[in-house]
Parts: sequence; structure tokens; C-alpha cells
Amino acid sequence: MRIGPIDVEFLLAITPILLKGALMTIELTVLSIFFGTIIGLFVALMKISRFKLLAVIGGFYTWVIRGIPLLVQLFILYYGLAQYFDIQLSPKAAAVLGLSICGGAYIAEIIRAGIQSIDKGQMEAALSLGMSSTQAMRRVILPQAYRRLLPPMGNEFIALMKDTSLVSVITMVELMRSGILLNTTYFRSMEIYLTVGIIYLIMTTFFIYIICRLEKRLAISEGD
Amino acid sequence: MIVIEHINKHFGKLHVLKDVSLTVARGEVVVIIGPSGSGKSTLLRCLNYLETIDDGYITIEGQPIGKIKLPDGRLVDDSRKNVYRLRSRMGMVFQRFNLFPHQTVLQNVMEGPITVSKTPVTEAKDRSLALLAKVGLADKADAYPVQLSGGQQQRVAIARALAMQPRVMLFDEPTSALDPELVGEVLEVIKDLVREGMTMIVVTHEMGFAREVADRVIFMNDGRILEDASPQAIFTNPSHTRTREFLSKIL
Ligand SMILES: Nc1ncnc2c1ncn2[C@@H]1O[C@H](COP(=O)(O)OP(=O)(O)OP(=O)(O)O)[C@@H](O)[C@H]1O
Ligand SMILES: [Mg+2]
Repeated sequence: MRIGPIDVEFLLAITPILLKGALMTIELTVLSIFFGTIIGLFVALMKISRFKLLAVIGGFYTWVIRGIPLLVQLFILYYGLAQYFDIQLSPKAAAVLGLSICGGAYIAEIIRAGIQSIDKGQMEAALSLGMSSTQAMRRVILPQAYRRLLPPMGNEFIALMKDTSLVSVITMVELMRSGILLNTTYFRSMEIYLTVGIIYLIMTTFFIYIICRLEKRLAISEGD
Repeated sequence: MIVIEHINKHFGKLHVLKDVSLTVARGEVVVIIGPSGSGKSTLLRCLNYLETIDDGYITIEGQPIGKIKLPDGRLVDDSRKNVYRLRSRMGMVFQRFNLFPHQTVLQNVMEGPITVSKTPVTEAKDRSLALLAKVGLADKADAYPVQLSGGQQQRVAIARALAMQPRVMLFDEPTSALDPELVGEVLEVIKDLVREGMTMIVVTHEMGFAREVADRVIFMNDGRILEDASPQAIFTNPSHTRTREFLSKIL
């Protein structure tokens, strides 16, 4: 069956395969957001630490990771480690690792900027009550930074979701690679990649929706 | 109770506190006045160890701040824990209130007792409500700071500092950020503390207040204490021309 130039039957045939890939894309996204946020929080705290060495290590991390394309990092993790140290990561492990390390660097910058955007008087008021700097961070600074972080973090999460398409080059079968594989069989780039694109669009839109909801909820619970 | 001996403080090349010495007895109310940039805030911040001093020393009830004296007389950095404990005994009130905006008024006041002193919640709550009543804000316990006027916010900030049961209160221009009609309510709360015999150091430009409550008035200029005298002496017969110039500008 055709509707204008669109071969509906073909679309119906490839969609389940692409959706299966999309599930893997979601899994990769969630995992790398999770680990990336943990890495990001630690690196951010390192960067603002009063211990110079930690600050330098944190700065080095974000400098290197943000300065090298994710694609190159993935090649190093997947092919490079195998060649040099005989460490053959599975495509999935390499994908999650690479995405988390990379996402962590950007998230660290977001968290650092968020923490430093909080008025210095807040830290001083907390310290003057007798709090340790860790307590002040946990009770006063981070809860305030948290809501300012949501919008840029949302952007970063969406970027991360789109970046998962890069792991198709290390043979990780997610949405993009499912499309590529289908195309090597059918040679129908337009239908296949357009569908892939639309599925990404649906997923990112849904993501944005969730983040907007979170922001609204937060605004209400904080009384302004 | 507070002894400051020959302290110096630099910010980079800027010499902000120059050989400052000051003693404050228990129950005494000391008001610090002086032009902008003369180092008044820095002095209070050094007392609270929010800034470190380059040399000299400060003791509170005999305990050096941030330093401990070894048997051989040398001073070494104190543990952070002791610094935290000393800070918790000094209440600090800031020009810009610095209430925690993500917490209600009551939570702000309870924060210190709960997080720092590990006071049980019910006890902290009772005590905090009593303090809020004392500053006249019992009905605002569940409001957020943004919903309050500046004067109300500053009264909450005072209650928050009092919740730690401090031995000393440090006020850094507590009314400078307020609309004129809100200044009075905050000064009233501070005067209540004076009547209770609280030891305090108040940086302020409110000369009427200084005249009324101060046991001593300190005039700071360019990082130095130029004058340390009774309010009468300072306001009627200052010994430095610099003090006279400053007072004539501000009165
Ligand atoms: N963190 C800092 N870094 C560098 N310079 C500082 C810092 N804090 C204060 N200064 C400088 O130290 C000097 C004294 O500042 P301080 O805030 O103690 O003055 P002040 O007497 O409280 O003035 P004001 O009446 O304006 O509050 C000023 O020249 C100020 O610019
Ligand atoms: Mg000041």
C-alpha cells in the first residue's frame, strides 16, 4: 500500500526493528545520565575544592574530555584499549563508559556553574551557624543549585540522548545502528533515516516534557 | 571575653586591617562606625574566622580562634571542628540577611540546632517558635523568606543566629539594606538583646542607636582603630579631626 510517495507497508515492516533499537537508545541514555551525573557531581566538587590538587585534576578532566570529540573517545575505548592493554570491552560497556565519561565532564561544568551562581552570603550564613563546609553544601548550597541546574541539565540530557547515536560506530546496536543495518539490506535511505529521525524527535520531545513538569513541580514546592 | 591583639589582614597587596587591637568584655555593647572600606566588615569576619588573619591573634573566652597554642608557645592551625564549634557560639547577622530561600522561616531558624547541634526536631521546633515569637514573627513561621519584608527577614536572621544560643552577636550593618520605615523594628529587636545583657559588636551607621545602646563606640578609618571611647565622648568631643569630619557628614 502506498500513500503518495510513502510505502506504508515498508514502514510498518521496519518500525518494530527500529523501536527495538530505540529501547536500547533509551537504556543507554538513562545509564549514561545516571553515571554521568555521579561523575559530574564529584568532578564539580573537586573543581571547587580548597585542595589544589583535586581542583587541578578536576580541571584537567573537563579540559581533556570536552576538548576531544566523543567519537574519538569511543574509538579509543573500544579499539584502543583492546590493542594496547588487551582489554576488549563489550560494545555496550564501551558505549556506557564513553557516554558517561563525556556527559560527566559537561555535567560537572553545569553543576560547578550552578553552585558558584549561589550568592556567597549563603555559604557564609551557613558557616556562621557552625556548619562544616560539607554540611553547608548539602543543606544550603546544593538544594538551591539544584533548581537552577534543571534547565541546563535538561539540555545536556537531550544532547546525551542524541549523542548515543555515535556509538553505532562501535557496533552497538541502538536506534541509529538498527537504521544503518536495515539500509544495508534495503537501500532505502530516505524512508529508513526519516523514520529514525522521527523516533529520536519523539523521544527528545517526551524528555523535554518530563523536565518541564519537574521544573514546575519544583517551583510550586518552593513557594514562589 | 573577646581579645583582639595586633591583627593584620591583607587582601593581596591591600592592607585592610592595620595592627588592630580591641577588647570586649562580657555583656558589653560595642558599636563600630567608620567610612566605607575602612575594614569594619573584615574585622567582624575575622572574628568569625570567615577570613583568616595574617598575624596577631584573637581569643574568645580565652580560646584562640583558628589557632591553638602549643606548650612551647607556638601557634598552629586549629582543627576545623574546633573552628566550627567556635563559630556556632557566635551569632552573625549580615547586611543582606542571607536567609536560606529554599526553607521556610521556621526551617531557617531550626537549621542550626538540627544540623549543627543535632538537637531533636521537636525541641528545636519549640525553641525556634519561641524565638520567632520573641522577634514578633510567630505568625510567619511557615512563610518563605521571599514573602517577607526586609525588616521581617532581618528579624528572622536574628532569630536564626540566636537559635544557636551564641555568647556573642556580631551585626554587620543590620539595617543598611532596609527601607527607612523598617529600620526601627530591627533596632528594637537588637535593643531587646542589649537589655538581656548579650555581648555584641554592631557595625552600623545608625548614630542615634549607637548613642542609646553602646557602651563604647569605635571609629575605624583606613584599617585602623582611630578612636575607642564612650558614645558621649565620640559624639560630643571626638579627639581626631577625621572622626569629626566623618560624623559631620553622617549626622
Ligand atoms: N574578599 C575580598 N577580596 C579583596 N578585597 C576585599 C575583600 N573584602 C573586602 N575587600 C576590601 O577590603 C577593604 C575593606 O573592606 P570592608 O568590607 O571590611 O570595609 P567596610 O568598612 O565594611 O566598608 P562598608 O562600610 O562599605 O561595608 C575594602 O577596600 C574592600 O574593597
Ligand atoms: Mg561592610
